[in-house]
Amino acid sequence: MFLRQSGIHHASYSADRALFPIPFDRWAVAVLLAFGLAAPWLVSSLTLSTYLLPWIVWTTAALGLNLILGWAGQFHFGYAAIMGIGAYATVHGTRHGIPFEIAIVLGGLTAAAIGVVFSFTALRVKGLYLALSTLALQFCMDWVISHVPAISGGTQATLQAPPLKILGQGVSSETGYYYLALAWCLLVTVFMLNLKRSSLGRALVAVREKDFAAAVIGVNSFYYKLVAFATSSFIGGVTGAVLIFSFYHAVTPEQFAVNVSIEVLAMVIVGGLASIIGSFFGAAFILLMPGLMNALITWVSARLGLGLSVETLAHLPHAVYGALIIAFLLVEPMGLGKLYNNVRNYLLVWPFGYTRK
Amino acid sequence: MSDAAPSLLSINNVEVIYDHVSLAIKGVSIEVPRGGMVGLLGANGAGKSTLLKSVSGLLKTERGEVTRGEVRFDGRNIDALTPQERVELGIVHVLEGRRVFEHLTPDENLVAASAVRGGRADMLRNRERVYGYFPRLHERRTAQAGYLSGGEQQMLAIGRALMTQPRLLMLDEPSLGLAPFLVAEIFEIIRRINREEQLSVLLVEQNAIAALEVVSHGYLIENGRIVMHDSSEAMKKNPDIQEFYLGGGAARDFHGIKHYRRRKRWLT
Amino acid sequence: MDWTLFAELAVNGALSGLMYSLVAMGIVLIYKSSSVPNLAQGALTMLSAYIVLAIAGALKAPLWLAIPLAMAVMFGIGMGIERVALRRLAGRPIIMILMMTLGLDIFVRAATMTLWGGTARPLPLGISDAPLFLGPLLLNRAYVVGALVALVLFAVFFFFFRTRRGIVLRAIADDYTASWSVGISVERGVALSWAMSSVVATAAGVLWGSIQGVDQSLSQLLLKGIAVAVLGGMDSVGGAILAGILLGVIENTASGFLDPLVGGGSRDLVVAAILVLTILVRPHGLFGREDIERI
Ligand SMILES: Nc1ncnc2c1ncn2[C@@H]1O[C@H](COP(=O)(O)OP(=O)(O)OP(=O)(O)O)[C@@H](O)[C@H]1O
Ligand SMILES: [Mg+2]
Repeated sequence: MFLRQSGIHHASYSADRALFPIPFDRWAVAVLLAFGLAAPWLVSSLTLSTYLLPWIVWTTAALGLNLILGWAGQFHFGYAAIMGIGAYATVHGTRHGIPFEIAIVLGGLTAAAIGVVFSFTALRVKGLYLALSTLALQFCMDWVISHVPAISGGTQATLQAPPLKILGQGVSSETGYYYLALAWCLLVTVFMLNLKRSSLGRALVAVREKDFAAAVIGVNSFYYKLVAFATSSFIGGVTGAVLIFSFYHAVTPEQFAVNVSIEVLAMVIVGGLASIIGSFFGAAFILLMPGLMNALITWVSARLGLGLSVETLAHLPHAVYGALIIAFLLVEPMGLGKLYNNVRNYLLVWPFGYTRK
Repeated sequence: MSDAAPSLLSINNVEVIYDHVSLAIKGVSIEVPRGGMVGLLGANGAGKSTLLKSVSGLLKTERGEVTRGEVRFDGRNIDALTPQERVELGIVHVLEGRRVFEHLTPDENLVAASAVRGGRADMLRNRERVYGYFPRLHERRTAQAGYLSGGEQQMLAIGRALMTQPRLLMLDEPSLGLAPFLVAEIFEIIRRINREEQLSVLLVEQNAIAALEVVSHGYLIENGRIVMHDSSEAMKKNPDIQEFYLGGGAARDFHGIKHYRRRKRWLT
Repeated sequence: MDWTLFAELAVNGALSGLMYSLVAMGIVLIYKSSSVPNLAQGALTMLSAYIVLAIAGALKAPLWLAIPLAMAVMFGIGMGIERVALRRLAGRPIIMILMMTLGLDIFVRAATMTLWGGTARPLPLGISDAPLFLGPLLLNRAYVVGALVALVLFAVFFFFFRTRRGIVLRAIADDYTASWSVGISVERGVALSWAMSSVVATAAGVLWGSIQGVDQSLSQLLLKGIAVAVLGGMDSVGGAILAGILLGVIENTASGFLDPLVGGGSRDLVVAAILVLTILVRPHGLFGREDIERI
């Protein structure tokens, strides 16, 4: 309908290999980009800082996890720990006077280095055991972060992040924070989009589908798993730092605890494995849902005079969150990205639906 | 076949679609008479396994479904039954690629398959019967099934199927990856079971030479359609079969191939 | 080195380790009969303890009656979980199944909290607090009872998996499709395994609840249960027992010596480290089945 294609008819390879082969997609992306850039003037600063900003940051995190989970097919149940390492490293760096731009790269590299440690288990096991060992590593990281005062800044302490300065300019407005997050998100998105059509991306997919078979056709699965873990961890580490500097402004171990890992995982799964647009949807869903549920439940209980206790009101959204994950896996295991694609594929050939058959 | 004694299994004009889109078989009809032994031949991807799954009810687990036609067993439409109910009726399917329970011993494999019917005494008697057919299995009854040789695993898969006391045994490429003498041995045992117990057999094979030796009738399936049906004697003599499935035919000229292709298209 | 202290730490560690085995056994039961790694076992343990209390409260029933009733309820809940959450996932990639059990974990925990609130409640089993002396060693009576229950359950399941029904469950774990092909009702088998595991969770929930009170922290037994299950081999009931003892001893002695050094809280670290090391060194655990890869 909007796509006006009735099938895909490329006349040249370059057209076929373009990032967005279909004009409608190009337009949609341009409009969204324009909206993203103009958002500080279009929405209230409250909306910007409580919805848009976290959404963008967590989308970036979900993209990073999707790289390892969706593309390379390696389970990672400790992604929050990786983000935490990047965040702590960056905060410590800047507190020691290293400029933010350099500190954040160092933070990302530290996270990548630790991520490679995670990958050693991936070289040995896969599937369930990889999931469990990364989960256990998450516990170890949590423990180390919260029990080594040199990292956490003392037991039970929050470590204040120094004021954000980019290229010597102090950034302290919500708009500034937002642009920082947006820039990083765009960078990662473009990277992921290009990954799809690079040899690295294809090698990762080969490793995912059957690492043994990939090795037979000359893909060094050992090397690619390492690269995948390092890259994904770098993205995670930098995202963790961005999260602290643009959103939390102070860092505590709980911000990167195991339930956060599971939340990012849920974003990826709900969004759809190996789906970029899905990561955007998934992050939005998982982030917004508890708030919406909360509002809805409070509203309903007030309207019906249920008189729910504070405790019930506090836990009910979590129960709904769990139930929604379950429902999602039952109804559309391929995630929101797949739903979007279904609609898009339908519209792509509309009104000549039979051309697909 | 006369109406008075309907065949044990009759597949009428069945069409199977996987994933709502891919059409795997397109209107296939097959009859297996009581106590008969029928072969189903065809190349890779022709739709042989799909057809067996439509009879045993295992399509659903692979997102496939019968979209047209019907499967009748013993005169009764079984399309709505679960795999378990079909086994209770007496249909058993020996899966392609053996698929024994690898972490169980042969003994336990046979016990697991006896769960559908009979008490303990039945089960023990049945197991002795299976070991009677496959003495080699008896020797290795306490080894882990995953470490049996390919031939022993195939015997175990067949024995396991026999534990359900079937009336129709469907075998999917039992000769896969086995040495010729083993294939002959296994086929001989199958024929013996067929004769001694009046067990009807539907044998799927790519190994046409071996299969046509034991079956009485054969069907040839290509691209999801039956393109030939005849007695095994006649099939063995058919020049096309000889050339393409039996590996015979000295003069392999392109003209012949073209001719065959054309004829095949005409048939479909 | 103080050997009495060490021995006491070790023996009490072994006893509490056997109580971890109770949680691990629930995980093993499901894995052994359907190859589903259940990450919701901690949540089920917690839920069962609350259900015992709820039944005792609502019916004014004594605990010895409330516990079997709760087991019956949990049996039904286990069946229900299979029916609603897992049946449609049969044969899906493992990541989906893991995510499903994680979703169950979140749901069950939060639903329990929603229904009953988070304040800790006592669950007095009437086991005396007076220490039990074994020579010079001081033992905790509650742990002794828990360990005995674990051993009894081990014996029960050891024999169960050699019965016809038990063999069928193991066959299902091996190959769903092959099980269907010989007429095994995979759905019923998996449901049975969830039901049994939920009953075992009730035993664990009651015993742990009587020791540390009934609250949300019961669900954190998951980490220990998983570590024990993996160390023993995910599909070995006997492994779960031995690994429980081993892990309990290591955890108790190591944290006994580490805690003063790092200022407490090293238990979870030790457990997590054991889990990682097991997976790195021997992924199939002490007694688990090794995946057979033949080409
Ligand atoms: N689960 C599935 N999903 C989608 N398509 C399938 C599925 N299984 C089989 N097909 C398709 O159905 C067709 C028939 O497959 P089938 O397995 O029945 O062939 P076959 O005759 O048994 O081949 P072979 O001799 O190689 O075993 C093939 O084109 C195959 O690609
Ligand atoms: Mg086949």
